[in-house]
Amino acid sequence: MSDQQQLSSEAWEKGQSIALSCPEFKPDVEEEWLAEESVSCYNCRYRRFVGSGIRCMKSLFNS
Amino acid sequence: MKFYLCIDDTDNLDSIGTGTIAEQIQEKIIHQGYGPCSLVTRHQLFIHEDIPYTSHNSSMCFFCEAPKDALTAIINLAANHLDTVAAVGSDPGLCVLAYDESCHYDELMEFGINAKKKILTKDDAMVCVQDNQLHLSEHGGTGQGIIGALAGVGLRLFGYDGEIKGALKSVMLNQTYSVADLKKLPEVNQVINLTTKEPLADTTPINMYNRSKTVLYQNEYVLFVKKDENHQYATLPKAEIRKLGDHFYV
Repeated sequence: MSDQQQLSSEAWEKGQSIALSCPEFKPDVEEEWLAEESVSCYNCRYRRFVGSGIRCMKSLFNS
Repeated sequence: MKFYLCIDDTDNLDSIGTGTIAEQIQEKIIHQGYGPCSLVTRHQLFIHEDIPYTSHNSSMCFFCEAPKDALTAIINLAANHLDTVAAVGSDPGLCVLAYDESCHYDELMEFGINAKKKILTKDDAMVCVQDNQLHLSEHGGTGQGIIGALAGVGLRLFGYDGEIKGALKSVMLNQTYSVADLKKLPEVNQVINLTTKEPLADTTPINMYNRSKTVLYQNEYVLFVKKDENHQYATLPKAEIRKLGDHFYV
Protein backbone atom coordinates (compact mmCIF):
# COMPACT_ATOMS: atom_id res chain seq x y z
CA MET A 1 0.00 0.00 0.00
CA SER A 2 1.45 3.37 -0.95
CA ASP A 3 1.81 5.98 1.73
CA GLN A 4 -1.47 7.70 2.57
CA GLN A 5 -3.38 5.21 0.41
CA GLN A 6 -6.29 3.30 1.77
CA LEU A 7 -7.43 -0.32 1.75
CA SER A 8 -11.07 -1.14 2.29
CA SER A 9 -12.00 -3.36 5.21
CA GLU A 10 -11.52 -7.07 4.59
CA ALA A 11 -9.40 -6.80 1.44
CA TRP A 12 -7.36 -9.61 2.98
CA GLU A 13 -5.64 -10.96 -0.13
CA LYS A 14 -4.63 -7.52 -1.30
CA GLY A 15 -3.38 -6.60 2.18
CA GLN A 16 -1.20 -9.69 2.26
CA SER A 17 0.18 -9.31 -1.23
CA ILE A 18 1.07 -5.63 -0.71
CA ALA A 19 2.72 -6.30 2.66
CA LEU A 20 4.77 -9.21 1.30
CA SER A 21 6.44 -6.89 -1.17
CA CYS A 22 6.60 -3.83 1.09
CA PRO A 23 10.09 -3.03 2.45
CA GLU A 24 8.55 -0.90 5.20
CA PHE A 25 6.25 -3.59 6.64
CA LYS A 26 6.58 -3.70 10.41
CA PRO A 27 4.39 -6.09 12.41
CA ASP A 28 2.29 -4.61 15.21
CA VAL A 29 2.08 -6.42 18.56
CA GLU A 30 0.10 -9.67 18.21
CA GLU A 31 -2.99 -8.51 20.09
CA GLU A 32 -3.47 -5.81 17.47
CA TRP A 33 -3.36 -8.15 14.50
CA LEU A 34 -6.54 -8.45 12.49
CA ALA A 35 -5.67 -10.49 9.41
CA GLU A 36 -5.15 -14.25 9.54
CA GLU A 37 -1.91 -13.86 7.60
CA SER A 38 0.95 -12.60 9.77
CA VAL A 39 2.38 -10.41 7.03
CA SER A 40 -0.46 -8.14 6.01
CA CYS A 41 -1.10 -4.41 5.85
CA TYR A 42 -3.87 -5.06 8.41
CA ASN A 43 -1.23 -6.21 10.94
CA CYS A 44 1.32 -3.47 10.23
CA ARG A 45 2.31 -0.78 12.73
CA TYR A 46 2.09 1.84 10.02
CA ARG A 47 -1.58 1.21 9.32
CA ARG A 48 -4.20 3.30 10.90
CA PHE A 49 -7.81 2.22 11.07
CA VAL A 50 -10.21 4.67 9.51
CA GLY A 51 -13.96 4.40 9.15
CA SER A 52 -13.93 2.40 5.95
CA GLY A 53 -10.73 0.38 6.28
CA ILE A 54 -7.06 1.10 6.89
CA ARG A 55 -4.65 3.76 5.70
CA CYS A 56 -0.88 3.57 5.40
CA MET A 57 0.75 6.31 7.49
CA LYS A 58 4.35 5.44 6.72
CA SER A 59 5.05 8.80 5.10
CA LEU A 60 4.38 10.56 8.40
CA PHE A 61 7.25 8.67 9.99
CA ASN A 62 9.91 9.22 7.34
CA SER A 63 12.89 10.94 8.90
CA MET B 1 -11.05 -6.34 47.85
CA LYS B 2 -11.26 -6.24 44.07
CA PHE B 3 -9.31 -3.53 42.17
CA TYR B 4 -9.83 -2.72 38.49
CA LEU B 5 -6.79 -1.29 36.69
CA CYS B 6 -6.66 0.01 33.13
CA ILE B 7 -3.99 1.75 31.05
CA ASP B 8 -4.14 3.42 27.67
CA ASP B 9 -2.04 5.24 25.12
CA THR B 10 1.41 3.95 26.06
CA ASP B 11 2.56 3.17 22.52
CA ASN B 12 4.72 4.49 19.79
CA LEU B 13 5.96 2.70 16.66
CA ASP B 14 8.64 0.76 18.51
CA SER B 15 7.00 0.05 21.87
CA ILE B 16 6.18 -3.33 23.41
CA GLY B 17 2.43 -2.77 23.43
CA THR B 18 -0.03 -1.63 26.07
CA GLY B 19 -1.13 -5.21 26.76
CA THR B 20 2.38 -6.31 27.65
CA ILE B 21 2.79 -3.31 29.94
CA ALA B 22 -0.47 -4.30 31.67
CA GLU B 23 0.92 -7.81 32.20
CA GLN B 24 4.15 -6.37 33.60
CA ILE B 25 2.11 -4.38 36.13
CA GLN B 26 0.30 -7.61 37.04
CA GLU B 27 3.63 -9.32 37.67
CA LYS B 28 4.71 -6.51 39.99
CA ILE B 29 1.41 -6.68 41.88
CA ILE B 30 1.84 -10.42 42.39
CA HIS B 31 5.50 -9.90 43.37
CA GLN B 32 4.25 -7.61 46.16
CA GLY B 33 2.20 -10.51 47.50
CA TYR B 34 -1.17 -9.40 46.14
CA GLY B 35 -3.44 -11.18 43.70
CA PRO B 36 -4.65 -13.26 42.00
CA CYS B 37 -5.14 -11.15 38.88
CA SER B 38 -7.59 -11.71 36.03
CA LEU B 39 -6.56 -12.04 32.41
CA VAL B 40 -6.07 -8.77 30.53
CA THR B 41 -8.87 -7.58 28.24
CA ARG B 42 -8.39 -5.34 25.21
CA HIS B 43 -11.16 -2.79 24.74
CA GLN B 44 -11.58 -1.27 21.28
CA LEU B 45 -12.52 2.41 21.46
CA PHE B 46 -13.93 4.80 18.87
CA ILE B 47 -11.97 5.10 15.65
CA HIS B 48 -12.11 8.63 14.31
CA GLU B 49 -9.76 10.97 12.49
CA ASP B 50 -9.96 13.50 15.34
CA ILE B 51 -8.84 11.05 18.04
CA PRO B 52 -5.06 10.88 18.40
CA TYR B 53 -3.80 7.29 18.53
CA THR B 54 -0.95 5.30 17.03
CA SER B 55 -2.83 2.73 14.99
CA HIS B 56 -5.71 1.09 16.83
CA ASN B 57 -7.10 3.05 19.85
CA SER B 58 -7.60 0.36 22.46
CA SER B 59 -7.08 0.17 26.21
CA MET B 60 -6.04 -2.76 28.42
CA CYS B 61 -7.78 -3.68 31.67
CA PHE B 62 -7.64 -6.32 34.40
CA PHE B 63 -8.73 -6.75 37.99
CA CYS B 64 -6.92 -8.16 40.98
CA GLU B 65 -7.58 -9.07 44.58
CA ALA B 66 -5.70 -7.21 47.29
CA PRO B 67 -6.33 -5.89 50.81
CA LYS B 68 -8.22 -2.60 50.93
CA ASP B 69 -5.21 -0.79 52.36
CA ALA B 70 -3.11 -1.82 49.33
CA LEU B 71 -4.85 0.72 47.07
CA THR B 72 -2.15 3.40 47.35
CA ALA B 73 0.65 0.88 46.88
CA ILE B 74 -1.00 -0.54 43.74
CA ILE B 75 -1.56 2.93 42.27
CA ASN B 76 2.05 3.94 42.97
CA LEU B 77 3.41 0.70 41.56
CA ALA B 78 1.42 1.03 38.34
CA ALA B 79 2.16 4.75 37.98
CA ASN B 80 5.90 4.25 38.47
CA HIS B 81 5.91 1.43 35.95
CA LEU B 82 4.06 3.54 33.39
CA ASP B 83 6.47 6.43 33.95
CA THR B 84 9.37 4.04 33.37
CA VAL B 85 8.25 2.08 30.32
CA ALA B 86 5.70 4.18 28.43
CA ALA B 87 6.96 5.09 24.99
CA VAL B 88 8.36 8.46 24.03
CA GLY B 89 5.66 10.49 22.34
CA SER B 90 2.80 8.58 23.95
CA ASP B 91 0.10 10.08 26.17
CA PRO B 92 -0.41 7.47 28.89
CA GLY B 93 -3.30 7.35 31.33
CA LEU B 94 -3.95 5.14 34.36
CA CYS B 95 -7.26 4.35 36.02
CA VAL B 96 -7.67 2.33 39.24
CA LEU B 97 -11.01 1.56 40.85
CA ALA B 98 -11.44 0.00 44.29
CA TYR B 99 -14.61 -1.95 43.61
CA ASP B 100 -17.49 -1.50 46.02
CA GLU B 101 -20.29 -4.05 45.65
CA SER B 102 -22.83 -1.57 46.96
CA CYS B 103 -22.17 0.83 44.03
CA HIS B 104 -23.80 0.47 40.61
CA TYR B 105 -21.25 2.27 38.41
CA ASP B 106 -23.91 2.96 35.77
CA GLU B 107 -22.30 6.26 34.79
CA LEU B 108 -18.87 4.68 34.52
CA MET B 109 -20.19 1.88 32.29
CA GLU B 110 -22.03 4.46 30.19
CA PHE B 111 -18.77 6.39 29.78
CA GLY B 112 -17.10 3.23 28.47
CA ILE B 113 -19.94 2.46 26.08
CA ASN B 114 -19.89 6.05 24.78
CA ALA B 115 -16.12 5.89 24.27
CA LYS B 116 -16.76 3.19 21.65
CA LYS B 117 -19.06 5.35 19.58
CA LYS B 118 -18.22 9.03 20.01
CA ILE B 119 -15.43 11.47 20.83
CA LEU B 120 -15.02 12.12 24.55
CA THR B 121 -12.76 14.68 26.18
CA LYS B 122 -10.53 14.80 29.25
CA ASP B 123 -13.13 17.11 30.82
CA ASP B 124 -15.78 14.42 30.27
CA ALA B 125 -13.49 11.95 32.04
CA MET B 126 -12.86 14.25 35.01
CA VAL B 127 -16.60 14.74 35.55
CA CYS B 128 -17.09 10.96 35.58
CA VAL B 129 -14.19 10.52 38.03
CA GLN B 130 -15.61 13.00 40.55
CA ASP B 131 -18.88 11.09 40.59
CA ASN B 132 -17.30 7.65 40.98
CA GLN B 133 -14.43 8.08 43.48
CA LEU B 134 -11.62 6.50 41.51
CA HIS B 135 -8.00 7.19 40.69
CA LEU B 136 -7.23 8.67 37.27
CA SER B 137 -3.79 10.03 36.38
CA GLU B 138 -1.86 11.31 33.38
CA HIS B 139 1.68 10.07 32.77
CA GLY B 140 3.19 12.32 30.16
CA GLY B 141 2.40 13.82 26.80
CA THR B 142 -1.06 15.25 26.52
CA GLY B 143 -2.44 12.79 29.07
CA GLN B 144 -5.23 11.91 26.65
CA GLY B 145 -4.84 8.29 27.71
CA ILE B 146 -6.97 8.96 30.79
CA ILE B 147 -10.04 8.87 28.54
CA GLY B 148 -9.36 5.33 27.32
CA ALA B 149 -8.17 4.15 30.74
CA LEU B 150 -11.40 5.28 32.36
CA ALA B 151 -13.47 3.83 29.51
CA GLY B 152 -11.67 0.49 29.83
CA VAL B 153 -12.65 0.15 33.48
CA GLY B 154 -16.23 1.03 32.59
CA LEU B 155 -16.32 -1.55 29.80
CA ARG B 156 -14.76 -4.27 31.95
CA LEU B 157 -17.40 -3.61 34.62
CA PHE B 158 -20.06 -3.72 31.91
CA GLY B 159 -18.92 -7.28 31.16
CA TYR B 160 -19.85 -7.44 27.48
CA ASP B 161 -16.75 -6.02 25.79
CA GLY B 162 -13.12 -6.85 25.19
CA GLU B 163 -10.87 -9.46 23.62
CA ILE B 164 -8.80 -11.60 25.98
CA LYS B 165 -5.11 -10.85 25.48
CA GLY B 166 -3.11 -13.88 24.39
CA ALA B 167 -6.17 -16.08 24.11
CA LEU B 168 -5.95 -19.41 22.25
CA LYS B 169 -2.23 -19.10 21.50
CA SER B 170 -1.70 -22.70 22.59
CA VAL B 171 -4.44 -24.04 20.31
CA MET B 172 -3.39 -25.66 17.03
CA LEU B 173 -4.99 -24.24 13.91
CA ASN B 174 -7.12 -26.55 11.77
CA GLN B 175 -7.52 -29.05 14.62
CA THR B 176 -10.72 -30.15 16.33
CA TYR B 177 -11.14 -29.77 20.09
CA SER B 178 -14.01 -30.70 22.36
CA VAL B 179 -15.67 -27.91 24.33
CA ALA B 180 -14.45 -29.65 27.49
CA ASP B 181 -10.84 -29.48 26.29
CA LEU B 182 -11.17 -25.82 25.37
CA LYS B 183 -12.68 -25.03 28.77
CA LYS B 184 -9.51 -26.34 30.40
CA LEU B 185 -7.76 -23.23 29.07
CA PRO B 186 -7.81 -20.26 31.49
CA GLU B 187 -9.10 -17.98 28.74
CA VAL B 188 -12.21 -20.11 28.01
CA ASN B 189 -15.10 -20.30 30.49
CA GLN B 190 -17.80 -21.03 27.92
CA VAL B 191 -18.12 -21.93 24.25
CA ILE B 192 -21.26 -20.28 22.92
CA ASN B 193 -23.22 -20.58 19.69
CA LEU B 194 -23.14 -17.04 18.30
CA THR B 195 -26.53 -17.45 16.62
CA THR B 196 -28.53 -18.75 19.59
CA LYS B 197 -26.27 -17.40 22.37
CA GLU B 198 -26.60 -20.83 24.03
CA PRO B 199 -23.58 -22.54 25.67
CA LEU B 200 -22.52 -25.75 23.94
CA ALA B 201 -22.24 -29.12 25.67
CA ASP B 202 -18.80 -30.28 26.76
CA THR B 203 -18.77 -33.09 24.18
CA THR B 204 -19.39 -30.77 21.20
CA PRO B 205 -16.48 -30.78 18.71
CA ILE B 206 -15.17 -27.37 17.61
CA ASN B 207 -13.09 -26.86 14.46
CA MET B 208 -10.37 -24.27 15.06
CA TYR B 209 -10.15 -22.86 11.56
CA ASN B 210 -8.56 -19.52 12.33
CA ARG B 211 -6.78 -17.24 14.81
CA SER B 212 -9.88 -16.60 16.88
CA LYS B 213 -10.10 -14.85 20.23
CA THR B 214 -12.15 -15.27 23.34
CA VAL B 215 -14.06 -12.24 24.54
CA LEU B 216 -15.69 -10.92 27.68
CA TYR B 217 -19.41 -11.73 27.49
CA GLN B 218 -21.74 -11.82 30.49
CA ASN B 219 -18.57 -11.30 32.57
CA GLU B 220 -17.13 -14.62 31.37
CA TYR B 221 -14.38 -15.52 28.91
CA VAL B 222 -16.33 -16.79 25.92
CA LEU B 223 -15.36 -18.43 22.64
CA PHE B 224 -18.06 -17.68 20.08
CA VAL B 225 -18.55 -20.28 17.35
CA LYS B 226 -21.04 -20.90 14.58
CA LYS B 227 -21.94 -23.76 12.26
CA ASP B 228 -19.96 -24.07 9.05
CA GLU B 229 -21.18 -25.36 5.69
CA ASN B 230 -20.82 -28.93 7.01
CA HIS B 231 -23.06 -28.08 9.99
CA GLN B 232 -20.14 -28.43 12.38
CA TYR B 233 -19.20 -25.77 14.87
CA ALA B 234 -16.20 -23.64 13.93
CA THR B 235 -14.38 -20.59 15.26
CA LEU B 236 -14.80 -17.11 13.80
CA PRO B 237 -11.91 -15.11 12.34
CA LYS B 238 -10.54 -12.36 14.54
CA ALA B 239 -11.78 -9.67 12.17
CA GLU B 240 -15.35 -10.89 12.65
CA ILE B 241 -14.89 -11.01 16.42
CA ARG B 242 -13.58 -7.43 16.34
CA LYS B 243 -16.57 -6.27 14.31
CA LEU B 244 -19.03 -8.00 16.64
CA GLY B 245 -17.35 -6.22 19.53
CA ASP B 246 -18.56 -2.89 18.16
CA HIS B 247 -22.05 -3.98 19.20
CA PHE B 248 -21.21 -6.04 22.31
CA TYR B 249 -21.59 -9.39 20.50
CA VAL B 250 -25.33 -9.05 19.94
